Amino acid sequence: MKRIEVKLSLAVVAPLLDVVKSVGDSLHDDLAAPVQLEQIDDDLRNDWRDELIAAQNGDVANLLALFDSEFFSTGVVNLDEDNADAILRACAAVRLCLRQRHLRKVSDEDLEGSDILLEELPEDQRRAFMCYLFLATVQELVIEHLEPAEYTDGAQS
Amino acid sequence: MTVDQAQTTPAPVIENAEAPAMVGPWKVVVLNDPVNLMSYVVLVFRKVFGYNESTARKHMLEVHEQGRSIVWCGLREQAEHFAFVLQQWHLTAILERNETD
Repeated sequence: MKRIEVKLSLAVVAPLLDVVKSVGDSLHDDLAAPVQLEQIDDDLRNDWRDELIAAQNGDVANLLALFDSEFFSTGVVNLDEDNADAILRACAAVRLCLRQRHLRKVSDEDLEGSDILLEELPEDQRRAFMCYLFLATVQELVIEHLEPAEYTDGAQS
Repeated sequence: MTVDQAQTTPAPVIENAEAPAMVGPWKVVVLNDPVNLMSYVVLVFRKVFGYNESTARKHMLEVHEQGRSIVWCGLREQAEHFAFVLQQWHLTAILERNETD
């Protein structure tokens, strides 16, 4: 099984985990991105939404579990093929939520191009944006190192 | 459909995955969002539909540049399954009737 250990700077990452945890908690009963279910039958709609939320909660729990006592003593997180998909989805969920709730004033162009000067952002947005970038980096690490080669050959954009 | 099914169902074998025929009564459409990474979207298309790299990338670029891409067409039940799984991956996926079919 593929597995990577990632050594992170505790001083940089630890403050971001409060943001991740806070956003993760706020997603407990809500979806990170609104889903359009107009074409779904009424009797299926609630189950559909509930199952998406349950899956999302499981994924976010997997993400938060990376930052355990070992991380706080060594700065190391362990990523492997077993948790890769859940981590990828959880990072997407938290990033979408950060965008919706904390980075709404940032234009799409700036966000996609990452042409944002951190020092120009207010403190709360600064932390949210650092968290947003950090989770993208985690996703890139997983895609590059843990996804089977048939899914990733040339996939980096 | 259950979450377990969605999480464990392997990507279907799609004949001619390089250029899947977009015919059938229901369309699965993915809309653009400014958040998800291009490499992530390509990966999701490959995992969910079994598309090869160039097909997945073509759909990702359609989403990115045109705001939407029809990523699959077919029967309603399977279209619902794909839309659910794409939403589980946090892509903005919707179902539409295929008026041309």
